[in-house]
Amino acid sequence: MSGLTLNLLLAVVWMLLAGEVSTRELVIGFLLGFGILALFPRALGSGGYVRRTLAGLGFVGFFLRELTVANVQVALFALRPHPPLNPMLVAVPLRLRRDSAQTLLVALVNLSPGTVVMGFSADRRTMYAHAIGNASPRAARDSILRVEDRLLRVFSPGPAPQNPSPEASP
Amino acid sequence: MADFSPLRDIPILIGAFFVLTAAVGMVRFPDLYSRLHASSKLVTLGSAGIFLGAALELTDAAAFTRLAAVLLFQFLTTPLTAYLIAQAAYLRGLPPLLGSGGQRGVDEWGALGQAEQVAQADPDAQRSLAAEGQ
Repeated sequence: MSGLTLNLLLAVVWMLLAGEVSTRELVIGFLLGFGILALFPRALGSGGYVRRTLAGLGFVGFFLRELTVANVQVALFALRPHPPLNPMLVAVPLRLRRDSAQTLLVALVNLSPGTVVMGFSADRRTMYAHAIGNASPRAARDSILRVEDRLLRVFSPGPAPQNPSPEASP
Repeated sequence: MADFSPLRDIPILIGAFFVLTAAVGMVRFPDLYSRLHASSKLVTLGSAGIFLGAALELTDAAAFTRLAAVLLFQFLTTPLTAYLIAQAAYLRGLPPLLGSGGQRGVDEWGALGQAEQVAQADPDAQRSLAAEGQ
């Protein structure tokens, strides 16, 4: 998180130069500082920080879209006379290993369309989920792997996401 | 308060609609696991709409930050509680209804009979299963 520290430092410097201690100047300084970090990633060593932050913002947009779709879908199921629930249990091989990341994944999967997490295998490498409204187990699994892909992009420290696409995994 | 203000009332109405459908889903869905879909997703977005409307109505910074904090915790606790309820029900041996229209549904977990596997991953669950066995 040295990128975040640097960004906060730049924000404080901006506030001092503006000669006014206020939230407004701090926010302006933070945004300008982020621009500087994005322009000179090599010199400031901030490439990972900028990429992860942008991935994080992209993730928020993706998540809000998923949440809306999920809600409209379940609301329609609740109101239709004969909802095509087709409930099934699917096993999903996970690439996320850290406990905190897996906890976050559980929360996000439960808020995305058609899936609720039910448990993990003993080695915590496989997640079991209850899925409704999916034609096949493959569709249900892919929707979970899409969420995991996005999370990996935010959490991975490397220069590029080094994970296979949902289609490549079994 | 009788006047209609779109900025404030539309988020509240959308939120109330989703909370209502959550209640309808809780009654109409066939088993606990399906009902969790309604209670976790719909209640989260429904309460988000109501909080957003409330924040826009109050228009003061303290109310805004407080409601933002409430929303953040809502987004974390509601889905995680749904997961804990699903796992607890499964460990206690409640079979999920699978497939619609009478056909056998997909079950990649090998439902029930494998609850011990989960229990091994979770020492607390193991203890509670052992306590039940006595």
